[in-house]
Amino acid sequence: MEYILILLLPIIGGLVYGVERVVRARMQNRIGPPILQPFYDMFKLLGKEPIMVNSYHIVFALMHLITLWVVVALIVLGYSLLYIIFLHLLSSLFLVLAGYSVNSVYSHIGSNRELQTIVAYEPILIFVAIGFYMIYGTFDIAIIREQSSAIGELLLLFFAFLLIVPIKLKKSPFDASEAHQEIVGGVELEFSGVFFEILYMARWIEYVFIYLLLFLFAGDNILFATVLFVTIFLLINLIDNATARVKINHLVRIVLIGGLSLSIINIVWLWI
Amino acid sequence: MVVDIDMFEKYTKKSPWILHYNAGSCNGCDIEILATLSPKYDLERFGVINTGNPKQSDIFLVTGPVTYRSRERIVELYNQIPNPKVVVAVGSCASTGGVFRGMYNVEDGIDRYIPVDVYIPGCASSPELIMDGVVKALEILEQKRYDEKN
Repeated sequence: MEYILILLLPIIGGLVYGVERVVRARMQNRIGPPILQPFYDMFKLLGKEPIMVNSYHIVFALMHLITLWVVVALIVLGYSLLYIIFLHLLSSLFLVLAGYSVNSVYSHIGSNRELQTIVAYEPILIFVAIGFYMIYGTFDIAIIREQSSAIGELLLLFFAFLLIVPIKLKKSPFDASEAHQEIVGGVELEFSGVFFEILYMARWIEYVFIYLLLFLFAGDNILFATVLFVTIFLLINLIDNATARVKINHLVRIVLIGGLSLSIINIVWLWI
Repeated sequence: MVVDIDMFEKYTKKSPWILHYNAGSCNGCDIEILATLSPKYDLERFGVINTGNPKQSDIFLVTGPVTYRSRERIVELYNQIPNPKVVVAVGSCASTGGVFRGMYNVEDGIDRYIPVDVYIPGCASSPELIMDGVVKALEILEQKRYDEKN
């Protein structure tokens, strides 16, 4: 059963992304594209003429997609949370290397900003894992899923986690690494045709990754998990529509100062 | 005549990504293009995304009579768009030079430099005309992809 879910991950991620585009359009008083639009995009991209800059560029993007898929597969199978966070760091590094492997200025700037956002959000993810360890006594996701929700004791860590969700989903105000109007997409600049489909699919799987981590805060209460998912989904899109982009140095400053202080207060409170 | 569109070809029409370039225009047609993406006319319900990236777009929307500095850039951008692609000349300046035809500082329209598929008249073209032109360009795009396959 779980293996079928793992194979269908891009389809689930694509549906979430499609629904999100419709939600975003409705918030702006527009109609929006059909829900299956990401799949139409995928089929169209498969028919474009492939233009390749160099082969390392494509190989790094493929490794980014494959490691991200493995990360979400491991979450579904219920492995150790700490190991998953470090493997996810590896997949982000593959994306950064892909950006550096071409001779394009915008691509380098995109990779540079992606590295800075990794510096910003990685400590908070590790603190979230430590918070789970201090409550449940284990890093294993399979065990954490079976326990009752501890969101009351992890509340500040939950807010710190909410702070990094816009970074991972590439939404305002923290989408400086894929700043569409500034650096023309950053790392995704030199990808075209079927190779862009690789990055597009990786973005869908990133959605599934973040929302599965969100489900962990809800424990075994499926109703609470659904309510949490819908609320945070709408909240993230509302903030995306309502805010502008912050500069990359402000991003690092806000996320590190705000998120780290919330996390450390929560960890110290749990320890005492 | 039976036109046999294969399984993937019909999706070309459903997700056209545009690249919008201003080749020396007065910005009137640019504002109308941006208005087409606004809530009242909403081009996104056709799946259109305004990417700024030639390598990921299908439709090249050009406004403006070509000025001296933008000649090379237009050809460069056109070359970087992967096949199949269509070019849409928005506004009378991009089609024939408009009110500036014969002036010393403009070339009369973009079809001296790149092959154009759809000409949209108007000064400035209204959003309904632009949408009509983009939908016509989509049919030409689908036909091109079908021709390329065979």
